Amino acid sequence: MSEADAAKIPVTVLTGFLGSGKTTLLNRLLRRPAMAGAAVIVNEFGEVGLDHLLIEASEEQFTLLDNGCVCCTVRGDLVETLKELERRSRRGETPRIERVVIETTGLADPVPILHTLIAEPELAARFRVGGIVTTVDAVNGFATLGRHAEAAKQIAVADHLLVTKTDLASPETVQALGRRLDALAPTATRGIASNGEADFAALDALAEDETGKRKRLAAWLEKATALPVHGLMHEHGHAGHDCGPDCDHDHSHHHHAHDHGIRSYSFVIDEPVEWASFARWLDYLAMLKGEDMLRMKGLVCRADDPARPMVLHGVQHVFHPPVRLDAWPSADRRTRLVFIVRGIAREMIATTLVKFAGIGAGSIDPPARSAA
Amino acid sequence: MSSKPAAADLVVLNGRVYTVDSARSWANAFAVRGGRIIAVGDEAAVKPLTGEGTRVLDLDGRMAMPGIVDVHTHMMMGGQAALFELRISNMERRDGILKKVRAAAEKTPEGKWVIGAQWGSDLIATINTEESLRLLDEASLGRPVLLRDDTYHNRWVNTAAMRVAGVTAANADPEQGSFGRDPGTGALTGLMIESASGMIERAIVSSGHYTDEMDRAAMAHSIATLNEHGVTAFLDAAATQPVMAALKGLDDRGELTAWVCAAMPVTEPSFMFGIAGEELFALRETFRSAHVRPDFTKVFLDGVPGARTAAFHEPYTPDPVFGCCFRGATLASVPELVRWVGRCEKLGLSVKIHCAGDAAVTQALDAIDVVRSFNGPTKLVHHIAHASYIAPEDIRRFAELGVAADLSPFIWYPTAFLEGHKQTMGVERATRFWPNRDLLAAGTLMAGGSDWPVIPNPDPWNGMEGLVTRQNPSGDFAGESLWPEQALDIATVLEIFTINSARVMGLDGTIGSLEIGKSADFIVLERNVLEVPSDEIADTKVLSTWFEGRKVYERG
Repeated sequence: MSEADAAKIPVTVLTGFLGSGKTTLLNRLLRRPAMAGAAVIVNEFGEVGLDHLLIEASEEQFTLLDNGCVCCTVRGDLVETLKELERRSRRGETPRIERVVIETTGLADPVPILHTLIAEPELAARFRVGGIVTTVDAVNGFATLGRHAEAAKQIAVADHLLVTKTDLASPETVQALGRRLDALAPTATRGIASNGEADFAALDALAEDETGKRKRLAAWLEKATALPVHGLMHEHGHAGHDCGPDCDHDHSHHHHAHDHGIRSYSFVIDEPVEWASFARWLDYLAMLKGEDMLRMKGLVCRADDPARPMVLHGVQHVFHPPVRLDAWPSADRRTRLVFIVRGIAREMIATTLVKFAGIGAGSIDPPARSAA
Repeated sequence: MSSKPAAADLVVLNGRVYTVDSARSWANAFAVRGGRIIAVGDEAAVKPLTGEGTRVLDLDGRMAMPGIVDVHTHMMMGGQAALFELRISNMERRDGILKKVRAAAEKTPEGKWVIGAQWGSDLIATINTEESLRLLDEASLGRPVLLRDDTYHNRWVNTAAMRVAGVTAANADPEQGSFGRDPGTGALTGLMIESASGMIERAIVSSGHYTDEMDRAAMAHSIATLNEHGVTAFLDAAATQPVMAALKGLDDRGELTAWVCAAMPVTEPSFMFGIAGEELFALRETFRSAHVRPDFTKVFLDGVPGARTAAFHEPYTPDPVFGCCFRGATLASVPELVRWVGRCEKLGLSVKIHCAGDAAVTQALDAIDVVRSFNGPTKLVHHIAHASYIAPEDIRRFAELGVAADLSPFIWYPTAFLEGHKQTMGVERATRFWPNRDLLAAGTLMAGGSDWPVIPNPDPWNGMEGLVTRQNPSGDFAGESLWPEQALDIATVLEIFTINSARVMGLDGTIGSLEIGKSADFIVLERNVLEVPSDEIADTKVLSTWFEGRKVYERG
């Protein structure tokens, strides 16, 4: 698996709301020598003022994948563009492509791009997801999040968040935004970009193959499951109140409008799981709740092979084929599941794990209980 | 009175009005305005609503009650069968069928089809021989012939029909179906099991045998037939595009005299042909009209016991073709079913799942259990049709999961059907059929459906008697009763056919009882069904049927 995966071309998705500094960042990113073998797909030409290896414009076109899945939307335009890039690279018509960066429009939902890479069989054989990077504008980001569900989703599904324009915002604003990002994307790594300059090594790490990813995954899960329960359980929006100066939401609303129902939580399961039952549960979850399951990651201890954990990675109803690691990345050998969801009750996950995945209620932490 | 109330369009007086309203079961009179009931009670309360233009209906002490609601019909097929097809009783034996085919062939122009229904599925073994096919070929005088069985899942066709459809001995069995072959010689017999039927039916469709005009006429005929038996609402359990087009067409012209729920098939059924699933759901709103609600879907999870296509927990009786341990199979797995039910819930569609065998029932309940666990409560009511063979441990799950039992076809008594079941399952298992008393005790929401024209007569009174007596009302199979411990009382049965059926169709705010604000759909009977001896319920005659306060049927 690792070898096959290493041969695949990583695709990094660069997203972020209108005016959040995506293009500035992209221009700077592409100047780096490390990006010499990168092909870039943008929504339209013109703004990327670089004579780069390959720049393709691709206009969002949604199609349904013909695989019997009734709700799997993929980006038909990307399917064609990526196939063409790969074909030309393979035939030697262009220099060898080592990486692809896709810059989305400001209003784009990055998830169909991931679906495209994971679920379209020909692309899945040649490309792999090299992370979602989301830019967030420190000045306007807080207000944008309140108004636009698209912006909240771009953040919730991110692997890495780059906060831009911090030099233009007050420290209070930056702090308030930070707390919102903690709530929406508790497990994403975070950096700061200033005039397009950022810690690009963090971006390179996203594109690493499975071996490199394994280390990051372990750290990611440690972080996610170590967060205090109330920090991760945003069952009713913010427990306290962290509205910044731009806060304009309606305080009488049952849910904070700027959460768009997005929250995250994690489970630790202290018993090995029967893989077949667990996989079936996962299948049901993706089928019935996929639309609202923005991101799910997990490390699973199989009863029939406890020394080699399974890695889970799902975006909405599409899951990467689960990968079996040769060893646990840390001393902790418990199953850990982390969810970033929109309006899915944590109790439902716990009760269905017991009912359909055959997991003892006493082995699930936290057990089903009312919100903190 | 300080002001005179607005006059009613219709005032019904001097009756024994059984309202099926638990708050007030009986009344003497009621009044209607704009198609809705505006008053129910004694005459003193209703009479003042009589004005100059008010029509007064004196019931002369007769019983009136809400219109009957039938939750399982195949309307187009009912009308087609009545208007355009050769009628064959399921009591008819092979020679009788051949005689009828010959008579019909003599009157059919060369090259045109002879289509008939519905021979008893207990004849399958008799028909499945080379000799039977030779006799059918002789009787059909060269016309292509297709004869549907009493389950509508299987066909007996002649050599000319197979030729038109391109079926030859070289064809492999289609998925989820098979071609009958002579057990001795292996030659084709013209018996088409399950999906094999579709190959011939599709050939009929492509020949243009049924026109749009025929569709409309068939639908109108079907509705008139239901009205005649007191039915004023129904659920079409395989509403393909032509079915919905005909319904909407009639409603737009003001000619639809019933409330309708349409259940769009998730996949093309074995007996109705055309688009299904998402492609059909996408047209849903174009067929919605004042009285037509395309808010259901239909899943066929298994076949029928008589053809060994229903899925059971225990094996069928040994058989030369199926061997010793055949249990039948479902047409979808639990995850596939979960996907469909989940998808339908997302679209706001209730699902009716055909489950003839107990294993199919278990699987449907399992799938709904999964969906409920993940999706939480819903207002949608899913149906298990035909809820007939049910494992004892599944009985309580209907109520627990909020699943309705669609008790169809309403022939809960000894029939040729049951004889077919006995052949394939053995007498003991075959007669543990329709545990209605147990379902009732478990708090199950039960509704009544005819499955017309799978049974040739949509008369609900016949079915109601069977529910109460568990004996055949026609006198056939005299002295036999089917699991009499499962009998229901007539008051429960009337609820099943009115308010319960309305509830499972999501229309209980509009129909199902005679209450203020509801549609004035009612029937006048020549006897009080709550008082007659139970073996006379089937003799009940509907004197008139009223839909939205208009008379749509009167007994001649």
